[in-house]
Amino acid sequence: MTGPKTPKARAMREQMKRQEARRRQLMIAGSAVAVVVLVVVVLVVVKVAGGGKKNDTTSNASGSVVSQLTSVPASVWQQAGDGGATPPNKISGVDPLTSNGKPELLYYGAEWCPYCAAERWPLAVALSRFGTLTNLGQTHSAVDDQPSNIPTLSFHGSKFTSKYLTFTPIETQDNNRKTLDTPTKAQQDLVEKLDTPQYVGGQGSGSIPFITYGNKLASSGSAYDPTILSGKSHAKIAADVHSGSGKDGQTINGAANVFTAAICQMTNNQPSNVCSASAIKSIVGKLGAS
Amino acid sequence: MIISVIGLGVSIYLTVEHYTGNATLACSSNGTIDCAKVTTSPESKIIGIPVAVLGLPFFVAMVAANLPAAWRSTLPWLRLGRLLSVGVGIVFVLYLVYVELFRVDAICLWCTSVHVLTFLLLVIVLLAEAGRDSFAP
Repeated sequence: MTGPKTPKARAMREQMKRQEARRRQLMIAGSAVAVVVLVVVVLVVVKVAGGGKKNDTTSNASGSVVSQLTSVPASVWQQAGDGGATPPNKISGVDPLTSNGKPELLYYGAEWCPYCAAERWPLAVALSRFGTLTNLGQTHSAVDDQPSNIPTLSFHGSKFTSKYLTFTPIETQDNNRKTLDTPTKAQQDLVEKLDTPQYVGGQGSGSIPFITYGNKLASSGSAYDPTILSGKSHAKIAADVHSGSGKDGQTINGAANVFTAAICQMTNNQPSNVCSASAIKSIVGKLGAS
Repeated sequence: MIISVIGLGVSIYLTVEHYTGNATLACSSNGTIDCAKVTTSPESKIIGIPVAVLGLPFFVAMVAANLPAAWRSTLPWLRLGRLLSVGVGIVFVLYLVYVELFRVDAICLWCTSVHVLTFLLLVIVLLAEAGRDSFAP
């Protein structure tokens, strides 16, 4: 039996065949769209779940790391020059930042940030020339950021005593992006005002690390490329800094000299044994050039 | 066609951004949302060609293929070409989403808008083709 053969019946059969074909095409189209959505959802879920990578936790910095960083021989930093580090920008038209009757250095960063990771090493070295830095942490930047897992220190909970300046570190988040230090409204307003292209050049607009040297100089972003620290242990970096060896040791000591010259601008060149060192004096002229 | 024109506009913006943006030694305080990091990353080029530049010919072709006259056309090569282009486009988008999430570890909202526009083009082209007769002459 072959079914009805009238023109009307044939037309109906054709119509039904076309409808069936369109239904099939619609299903294929719907499946293709569903596959795309599914792939994106899987990628996002894997990413949110951590992709199997785990961030470091922050511990107390080892005694040997701290002692090597805070006792770099003068002969080593005299030889380092500026290490090619990016100098901070000069600030004008902003009231000086002070605390406890002393000029204040405000650092604003986060433990997950690889560029903050780079910045802390020379900042710790530089600060130790003006006072005593204790309670430093030791960690790595986040593994889910690029460049990933940069060995570093943490300023969260650190203490700094100096007769020349006040150091105010703000580590806003840990390396899992959980809140650590909450800035005061005044500090937040200051960062939002100064961390802009008008004051710190192209890297501004809320980028971190941000540092203001008593509102005389300020920087946004790291002074050097963090990847030179990739894969190195804290002990190796500290040893390289202490001896001035390796690209990491030379670069960190150079950046520390630049930071030292910036701090000398805050402290009216005190202490003189630090600020009058030829390595520092030669950098002072370059400050604000970027 | 409107979606293709918007996509072309965003691609032009991203191309300009790729060539004029500074590679920064800084973290965005917005965390994962960081357009400069994406558009200046090593992954922003494929065999030396900026990804943003690759988006330009795609959206130029989609604007042409989705002009009202072309959209109404029943020419098989035009319909097949449009379908294949949008298919290649969405595969490329999936690759770029993977790169943003797992290699660059940052999301560029402008790039995401291009991805969404390409996805919408896919949906519209597929639905339109599903409602038409097959390519067979």
